[in-house]
Amino acid sequence: MALIAIAITLFPLYWLFLMSTKTPVEAFKNPPDLFYVPDFSKYLEIWGEGDFAAAFFNSVVVVALGVTLAILIAAPAAYAIVRFRVRAGRWLGLWLLLAYALPEFLFVIPMYVLYQQIGLFDTQIGLALIYQVFAVPFAVWLIQSFFSEVPRDLGDAARVDGCSELQSLLRVYLPLAAPGIAATGILVGIVMWNEVTIALSLTFDDSRTVTIAVAGYRGYAAMRWQEMAAASMTAIAPMLIFALVAQRYLVKGLTFGAVK
Amino acid sequence: MGLTSLYPTLYSLYMSFFDWNWGTQFNFVGLDNYLELAASERFQTALWNTFVFTFGAVAVELVLGIGLALVVNRLGRGAAVVRTLLLVPLMVSGIIVALIWKIILDPTIGPVNLVLQRMGLPPMGFLGDPAMGMGSIILIDTWWQTAFVFIVFSAGLQALPREPLEAAEVDGAGVLGRLRYVTLPMLKPIILVILLFRTIDCMKVFAIIFGTTGGGPLTTTESVQVLAYRIAFKQYGMSLSMAAMVIFATVVLGLVIAIRRASRQERPAG
Repeated sequence: MALIAIAITLFPLYWLFLMSTKTPVEAFKNPPDLFYVPDFSKYLEIWGEGDFAAAFFNSVVVVALGVTLAILIAAPAAYAIVRFRVRAGRWLGLWLLLAYALPEFLFVIPMYVLYQQIGLFDTQIGLALIYQVFAVPFAVWLIQSFFSEVPRDLGDAARVDGCSELQSLLRVYLPLAAPGIAATGILVGIVMWNEVTIALSLTFDDSRTVTIAVAGYRGYAAMRWQEMAAASMTAIAPMLIFALVAQRYLVKGLTFGAVK
Repeated sequence: MGLTSLYPTLYSLYMSFFDWNWGTQFNFVGLDNYLELAASERFQTALWNTFVFTFGAVAVELVLGIGLALVVNRLGRGAAVVRTLLLVPLMVSGIIVALIWKIILDPTIGPVNLVLQRMGLPPMGFLGDPAMGMGSIILIDTWWQTAFVFIVFSAGLQALPREPLEAAEVDGAGVLGRLRYVTLPMLKPIILVILLFRTIDCMKVFAIIFGTTGGGPLTTTESVQVLAYRIAFKQYGMSLSMAAMVIFATVVLGLVIAIRRASRQERPAG
C-alpha cells in the first residue's frame, strides 16, 4: 500500500517531467511513445525569454529579503520571550493562529489600495514586507522553541561574565540554536517562494514572482505545455532540495510546534 | 506587533460600509454591501462550494493520511525513505499543483483519459464538467495535502508510549481493537490539531481553483476567495469584496473557535 501511495504521489511529477521534455507533436501522440528522444531545449529557452528569468530572480530577492527581515525581527523577540520569561506564550499562539486563519484577501485588498498610494505596489520590498504578516509570528514561535532548548545557565553565565543581553543573544543563543534558525529560515522561505494569492494581487509586471510567471504560460490563445512544464520543474527543484535539508524540522514547522 | 494584520483588517471593515469602486465614488452606504451579499445567489453558492470542498477534502485527507501513517509506521526499515517521498507534494506551490493536474486531467492529452480510452471507456470531462468539477478539485487537494495529515500523524505515532499498546495486546486486543481503543484515543489531540489546520487551509482555498477552473464551469467550483478576487480585481468592487471577506473571515474564525473549544474539552481527560 505504501508503494501504491508513492506511485500516486510521484506520478504527476513524473508526467510533468515528461511533458517538459516532449515536443508538442510527441506530447499529443496517442498512445504516447514509450521511448522518445528527450528534448531539454525548453529548460534553456525559458531563461532566454527574460520574463521567466526576471520572475525567478524576483522570487530570489523577495525570499532573501523576507526571510532576513523575519529572522531579524523574530530572533530578538524570541530571545526576550525565553530570557525574561515573558508570559506571552498564550498570546503569541493566538496571534499566530489568527495570522494563519485570516483569509488572505481580507488584508490583501486593503494592502493593494495602500500599496498603490505609497508606491510599494509591484515592488520586491513591498511583497517581502507583507509576507511578514505570517512570517514573523511563525518565526518567533519556532525560534523561541529552539531558544528554550538552550540551557538557561549558559545565558546566566554570559550575563555574569559581563555580556550585555545583545551579546548573550549573539554569542550564546544564536550560535547554539543555529541549526534551528536555519531551518526556520528555510521553512519561511519555502512558504514565501510558493505563495500565490498575495503575489498575484500585489505584483504586476516588474516584480512578478516565479509562481505567477509559471501560471503565465497558460497564455490567452493556447497552453504552452512544454514551456510551462519546464518552468514548473525549475520552480519546484530548489524547494525540494531545501525541504530535504530541513526535513528534521518539518513537522514542527508544519504545525507551528504544536507537534514535536 | 499586531499592527501588520490588524490595520488592514480594520480598514477592510471600515471600507465595507462604503460603495467604493476604485474610482471617485465614495459614499457611506451602511450595510448595503452586506445586504447585497446576503441576497446574492453567487455569494451563497461560493460559501456553499467552500464548505463542500472543505468537508470533502478534509474528510478524505484525514482518512487517507491516518491510514497511510498507520501502514508506514509498521514498515520499520525504509519508513524514513517512504516518508520523505510522500512529503514531496507539500513542497509544490498551489499554482503549480493546479497546472500539473490540468495536464493530468486534460481530456485530450491527459494520461488519465488515455487510460480510460484504452479500457474502452468514454473520456471524462473532470475539471470541465460541471458535475465533476468540485470532485476534481477535491482530488487535486487530496494529492497535494494528504501528506500533511500523514506526516503529522506519523510524528504522533512515533511519540506514543509503548506500554498501553503492549498492555492491550496482552489483554487480547486485536490490531483493530488496539487502534480503536488505544491509539486513536491517545492521539485525539493531534487529530484535532490536524483538523484545525486542514480546515483553515481548505476554507481559504484559492490557488488550485484559480489555476485550474477559475471557478467554473459556471460557478460550480467558485470558492469565496476566488469570488472575492473576481469582485475586487476584475470588477473593481473594492468595498463589496471587502464586505464579502469580512463575512467570510467571521465564518472561518467561528470554525476555528469551535474546533479549539472541542480540543480544550479533550484536555482534562487526556
